Amino acid sequence: MDKATQTLLLYEWKALVRNKFQLIMLALVFVFGMYAIYYGQSEIDAQRETIKAMTALEQEEFSRYTASFKEGPETLEQEQTHDIASRPAYAWYRHGYHAILPPHDYASLAIGQRDLFRYYYRLTGMSLHYQLFENELANPMNLMAGNFDLSFVLIYLFPLLIIAFCYGLYSAEKESGTLALLRIQSVSMGKIIGLRLVFYALLIIGLALLLSLMGLFSAGNPLQTENWVPATAWMIGVMVYCAFWFGLMFWIISFRRSSAFNAIIAAGFWLLLLIVVPAVLNVIVTVKYPLSSATLAGLTRRTGLDNEDDEEESKEVIMEFLAHRPDLAPSDGLLKKNIMPKAYAAFTALKDINSQKEVGRYTAQVAKRNEWAARFHWLSPAANMQDVLAHITETDLSTFLHFQDALADFHGEITRFYFSRLFGDKPILLEDYSELPVFTMSKNNKQWTTIWWGLGKISLATITVFTLGLIKMKGDSQ
Amino acid sequence: MLPALIHIAKKEIRIALRERLIVFLGLIIVVLLGVALYAGYVSYKQQKETIAQTRSEKRQEWLHQGDKHPHIAAHYGTFAFKPKTVLSLFDFGLDAYTGTSVYLEAHYQHEFMFRPAQDHSSMIRFGELSAALVLQILLPLLIIFLAFASFTRERESGTLKLLISQGMSFHTLAWGKILAYSLMLSVILVFFLLSIGLLYGMGVTSEAIPDTAVRVLLLLLLYSIYLFLFIALAVWVSIHSSKSRNALLTLLTCWIFFTILMPKALANLSENIYTLPSMREFKAQIEADKRHGPEGTTPLSVQKANLEKEYLKKYKVDSVQQLPLNFEGVSMQAGEEFGNQVYDHHLGRLRKLFHQQNRMSSIASLFNPYLAVRHLSMALSGTDMYTSIHFEEKVENYRRELIRKMNKDMAENSEYGKFYGYKAGNDLWQQIDDFSYRTPMARELLGHYHLELISLLLWSVLLITLLTYANRKIKPLHG
Repeated sequence: MDKATQTLLLYEWKALVRNKFQLIMLALVFVFGMYAIYYGQSEIDAQRETIKAMTALEQEEFSRYTASFKEGPETLEQEQTHDIASRPAYAWYRHGYHAILPPHDYASLAIGQRDLFRYYYRLTGMSLHYQLFENELANPMNLMAGNFDLSFVLIYLFPLLIIAFCYGLYSAEKESGTLALLRIQSVSMGKIIGLRLVFYALLIIGLALLLSLMGLFSAGNPLQTENWVPATAWMIGVMVYCAFWFGLMFWIISFRRSSAFNAIIAAGFWLLLLIVVPAVLNVIVTVKYPLSSATLAGLTRRTGLDNEDDEEESKEVIMEFLAHRPDLAPSDGLLKKNIMPKAYAAFTALKDINSQKEVGRYTAQVAKRNEWAARFHWLSPAANMQDVLAHITETDLSTFLHFQDALADFHGEITRFYFSRLFGDKPILLEDYSELPVFTMSKNNKQWTTIWWGLGKISLATITVFTLGLIKMKGDSQ
Repeated sequence: MLPALIHIAKKEIRIALRERLIVFLGLIIVVLLGVALYAGYVSYKQQKETIAQTRSEKRQEWLHQGDKHPHIAAHYGTFAFKPKTVLSLFDFGLDAYTGTSVYLEAHYQHEFMFRPAQDHSSMIRFGELSAALVLQILLPLLIIFLAFASFTRERESGTLKLLISQGMSFHTLAWGKILAYSLMLSVILVFFLLSIGLLYGMGVTSEAIPDTAVRVLLLLLLYSIYLFLFIALAVWVSIHSSKSRNALLTLLTCWIFFTILMPKALANLSENIYTLPSMREFKAQIEADKRHGPEGTTPLSVQKANLEKEYLKKYKVDSVQQLPLNFEGVSMQAGEEFGNQVYDHHLGRLRKLFHQQNRMSSIASLFNPYLAVRHLSMALSGTDMYTSIHFEEKVENYRRELIRKMNKDMAENSEYGKFYGYKAGNDLWQQIDDFSYRTPMARELLGHYHLELISLLLWSVLLITLLTYANRKIKPLHG
């Protein structure tokens, strides 16, 4: 570092320390960041509490069932419990299993769509679609306002901080009359601007990284094997995104216009990238891929056989269903015992099979929307960044679509467990309780493609704005 | 004084039109407004058509469900769909975040399903482009760009001194400028009004809102006041700033704080202060109360026993079999009413929480005109919380009426203990009218928004006073 550089940086530091307004802004953003970390934690903690309560309920339910095998039924209630525990005719629609999408350790830093989607379900063998579409309670006003999480602070507020610090880097000198003094120094104007930009970049990116580290450490240990890649991706994202805004400011400054002009252009860009582009994309996607959930609503209707008391009809339904499921191996007494429960089970399962197409079409349309919107993410590094962060913390739409697929698979396992016993006329034994279906969800590793690509796109945008700035700066000084 | 005022206004407009950047931004905003209205219109039409179609399908399904026991019909139930109101094409409001359909059946109140925002990636949280968004967020920015230098530029270039020395009053100067900006913005508002008029010409109407014309006029008034407030604020800040740069920074900070930071921070704070139960807890509490009876009420079994005694006494018989009606229907209805009572209690508590949460931003709207306008705009467009609650109440009443009719038919026509012995038919299904919804009148809705209305009044008075007061004190010179 040569003498001139040292002098310049020292001067910049002194100017910063003396400027109360700038210090207040830095402090304010820091406080907002801290609040955002706290708010995110409190939201996700509440979800963790709900999950805990759900799991406890399930354990209690099933321990009641297993206990009923051990103690001889004395009271009527115990007898009923034992019936539910051991007879598939009751058990298939009474036993409730919890399927849970636990929050990623870092979900609190970018809540994404997690406040909007259900993250826990209690599934029985009944029609899947009857159980799937219930909303979580939420105040729509607050849903609309969105979450004040760390991703919001980084994506919305840091660019403003960068704009506020940089818009006058060159023009302020001109306006206060010190430019001429700087010009006669041996150091080139380009170098001076560059150095000042680097100084503020270190300062502001440093603040962003500090807040991120505080968030990452308070939400989960980033050194753990499953966390260090997400944590690293987060840190890289923060650096690249801030660098983009510095690059943009550099480009704007390179036009050497007045401070007010720079501020207007920068504010215009902020508005364009954070509000206009995403809002336009959202409205286009809504219109281009129309979706009406009204068509799905019908699937939740509770229906039954037209003539429940007609045994022939019941038998037909059972046979129709078994034709779809040769794996269920019905017993010889299939059409002699428990005809009503069998017919009802067959009926709801058939209904699921028939409505699967409708649901599939709907999810495909949602996925298409998602794909289309993602294709235009490069238009707004901010929307891109939001998408990257939501993918890192697994709070994006695709995680929830993946969860829904896993729910359907799990429901299939539940019905297999009970239906094989119901249609095979076998009771549920105590030892069967060690083989109950368990919800599992495969890791969706496709998200990392989105994340690295997204980061790549922001990096490319950053390089572009810097290059444009450099060209302009060089072109003018010759 | 009047000619001078007009003179100033003319000059300001000429200067503004010379600024290519300003004209360019103005054009962009007009284009965005057009796109927003068009997209709003297309999506309104799409939604309206699908809902109308699905609604008639469900109606046919109900009417032609064949002969069955009324209680089974009550269980199979039917659906209600939230209609898109015609003004939602202007302000989407909460439409993406409130459920759109609900299943109506006996014994249970189902919650509304499907929030449209769930069908989007997290980008939806940046907001959707609507005309309201353009008017509420983008136009104020244009105003800031137009007016931040209104006084500082004159002061920096020394023309302010010249103007004052020629006998131009400060007052005239300020109001002349305000008049100029207002005229320019009203061009955009007129464009907006023309688009609305065009849509009407195309025959876009909606039976859901009874007083559309009044609402459109009120919306126009609302946005005129809002834009005037921003103009007045920008001019006032410019009067008080020593440099253009400072005026711009102050105004931009206000803008960010009012439109981005404060609404979000408040909503989140309210979420922390008044915590909502999870759906699981909510449902579990209702179930528990239905089983054991809420505190201070008679348990359902006792109620039913009492009811039985009452009926036996009334008809002077000694067993339910001898009653001239099927007591099962009566008892079923008693159960239904008991369930409703429990549900109302819990829903009331939940709604109170919502209300307390939203009240925070209502109170805050006294300090932030953007919040006031956002709430009022949604209310007038029929996409606000109160319209949504009103709709949910109407749906629930419809459900209760439907179940009541089913139970009544069961009591009158079926026999005790012979569930499969009786089947009702199309005659009974016809007795249930199709569900249709009308929003409350605008006046009634505005009754929920006193604070927001007061906010706009206070801000107008405050800014006009400040401008009048400031004019007397300010020196036309630097610093």
